[in-house]
Amino acid sequence: MAMMTSCNMDLETELEYESYEFSGIDENAGSWKPILISNGNDITIDEPTSISSAEYLSELSEVKSMISAMSSDQRKQVNLWTNNSVIRWNEVALGLIAKYNLIPGPNVDESYTLPNPANPEGPPVFPFAHPPYASRALAYLSVAQYDGMISAWHYKFMYDRPSPYMVDPEIPYAYVPNNLPSYPSEGAVLATVSRKILTAMFPLEAEYLLQLEKDHLESLLLAGENVPSDLDAGKKIGEEIASIALARASNDGMKYAQAPKAVSDSLRAAAFDRFGWQWENLESPVRPVGLTPLFGKVKMWSVPNVEDTRAPVPPTPGSEAFQKDVKILEDYADNVTHERRRIANFWQDGLGTYTPPGHWNDIAGEYFLKYKLNSIRTARAFAYMNMAIMDGGISCWDTKYYYYYPRPIQMIKGFETIAGTPNFPSYTSGHSVFSAAAAEVLTYLFPQEGSVFQKWAEEAAMSRVYGGIHWTFDATVGTTQGRDVAQYTIEVAKTDGADN
Amino acid sequence: MKNYLRTLILLLGGLGLSNMTVGQTPTDGLMMPKGDICFLLNFDYGQFDHYWEGETLRKNGTIAKVQRKTALVMAAYGITKRLDAYVGLPYISTNSTTPNGGKFAGAKGIQDLTLALKYEAFRHKGEKGELTAFGSVTFSAPVSNYLSDYQPYSLGIGAPQLAWRGLVEYEWDNGFYLRGNGGYIWKGYTQAEREYYYNEGSYYTSWMDVPSAWTYEAVIGKWFMNKSLRVELNYNSSKSTSGDDIRAYNAPQPTNKVDMNRVGAFAQYFFKKPKGLGLVASYSKVINGRNAPEMSSISVGITYQFGLFHPKN
Repeated sequence: MAMMTSCNMDLETELEYESYEFSGIDENAGSWKPILISNGNDITIDEPTSISSAEYLSELSEVKSMISAMSSDQRKQVNLWTNNSVIRWNEVALGLIAKYNLIPGPNVDESYTLPNPANPEGPPVFPFAHPPYASRALAYLSVAQYDGMISAWHYKFMYDRPSPYMVDPEIPYAYVPNNLPSYPSEGAVLATVSRKILTAMFPLEAEYLLQLEKDHLESLLLAGENVPSDLDAGKKIGEEIASIALARASNDGMKYAQAPKAVSDSLRAAAFDRFGWQWENLESPVRPVGLTPLFGKVKMWSVPNVEDTRAPVPPTPGSEAFQKDVKILEDYADNVTHERRRIANFWQDGLGTYTPPGHWNDIAGEYFLKYKLNSIRTARAFAYMNMAIMDGGISCWDTKYYYYYPRPIQMIKGFETIAGTPNFPSYTSGHSVFSAAAAEVLTYLFPQEGSVFQKWAEEAAMSRVYGGIHWTFDATVGTTQGRDVAQYTIEVAKTDGADN
Repeated sequence: MKNYLRTLILLLGGLGLSNMTVGQTPTDGLMMPKGDICFLLNFDYGQFDHYWEGETLRKNGTIAKVQRKTALVMAAYGITKRLDAYVGLPYISTNSTTPNGGKFAGAKGIQDLTLALKYEAFRHKGEKGELTAFGSVTFSAPVSNYLSDYQPYSLGIGAPQLAWRGLVEYEWDNGFYLRGNGGYIWKGYTQAEREYYYNEGSYYTSWMDVPSAWTYEAVIGKWFMNKSLRVELNYNSSKSTSGDDIRAYNAPQPTNKVDMNRVGAFAQYFFKKPKGLGLVASYSKVINGRNAPEMSSISVGITYQFGLFHPKN
């Protein structure tokens, strides 16, 4: 028995961090340029009551009695959400992506049914949170969070109402003090905007997300950080900014991305006419349509014209360059070293996981903590990274369905892989583009760490070749493409006022 | 004393049948004479084209039919009259038949080293037969860097295992016997090559908790041909104490709750000449389960037993 207990491991189910002192509080962040709205004051909230008013004092005493009656479960919630809940909500999104990243299997009659947002229960359930879907969910979440935070910061420093723990020394503060004004509550903005965006993206999780929002809002009171009117103002910003984001989402073209067979067949025929090759799905039973053939037509965040970022023509099958690649892939398949296998698996981010965009969010979160970013800086960093990732995905998908290039298993007889071959054309590699775009933005944000991010992006790209599911030029050209696409978002970041 | 050869048999069965049940212990009802050693070389072929996703039996064109071949070398040694030791090492290869929709490479290599001890706790000769009781402990652990997180092709669960079992057998003088055993297998953690996985929620670690399991077995057998041949029918069951279900149309993973019930037949023949030589053969089929393959297996093996430190054979 001693052996059994000593063998128990603590397996982490979330990023482990506590409240911390921010590297700065960005008093001027209310004047930064948001993404969806034009200014932090586009959304209006009421002027707060003064801390000497009867209303405020009554709120204060309500909070005090709540804190004195706090249960241990409530205490856990306070510790969970911390003073930077951007990362916690990002983790919620990653968990939902992993939960819904399941490809619909065939029906008994060997047909396939697509997830349908009008009937999310299915079967199959909606959504299938594949990498393009994940990139988009994360981008809308992060962008809406960021804009909401700019709005919150604008009013925080305009009204400068102190937190309850600063007003009343009898109120304990659960977190490391950062001297941020408390009206409106940025935590409430995050709780509400995140709940609303994620509910739209994962409609079957409405109840779960509502509970998280409730827990988070309550923890803000129990932490000694906010009074209820701080929350109300934050919730209003959250609701409004989420509505604006979701209005964009409903018209960004995603609803047409999973094109019908006729459209997908015409793209295939066009590629065959142009280039003389065409990708085929080799699953059993065959899937009639590849994944989201028209994701390349979805509205981009920072790139005006997707074709400006389209990759050049890949090597013709049978050509010398192509044959050289066949040799490389055969060599990797015949000699699976431990290191190549490790890399293929580490970056696989396949079905049932949080996808490549999710992996980069996971990586990014650790660096945001390492550099003690405050919550608005964290939201900003996630926003630009996820905008670049989604733009990279759109550019990659445009390239994929323009060239319709076949996968290694289609072109090399008897070829077997150690990773799962996805249901879309090969060129360029999605993971390579997502990773390079993410690494590029992170390098802009943390230049001193750039070499690490770039190395990982290149490793992630090559992982697809080691896995046997991509050509080397899918990976290398994809990496270039991702870097290129990210520049458009970095240009936006440079001029938003945060790095002046 | 040729029939002591059968000591090894169910150990091989457990190791070879499926990656879901690696590391069973010696569950036979006899002991080796002190100083005797017995070697076994066994070949097992298992296959399945359906599996239980949760509790639903399904096929999957991605993997078509999965084949699993195992070559096992094992030795048993009688330390004392009442204490036997075992060591076993399997080599396994897996693959899907072609055509299949997934085009996944199979896996091959050495799996887990198994070490076991069995102790005879009780023996009583009655009027019509003999009653015996045993306890055993089995430890196994991977001895190569095979990837457990590569199902259904992975060679094993990639985790240390420690099994405790109790066993009772009654043999009538007419050659019929009944045997039952029950045990608990503690299974440790296995390390995947990724830092995130989903197990009814996010896990930000490469370590996966492999569910432990309770196991039971019931056997009816009979000796024939003046104890040169015996034939058995067996039923065994394994039930995980925790774990998640395989998700829809998704690959299994080591955290899954794996339950299975299996029926099988087993035969063993001892040659008069050359003395010490034996043959074993078995068949088994998983008849129901949860997150388990509907595996059927056949195996054949050869055993050779002799006195190591008291050359009396």
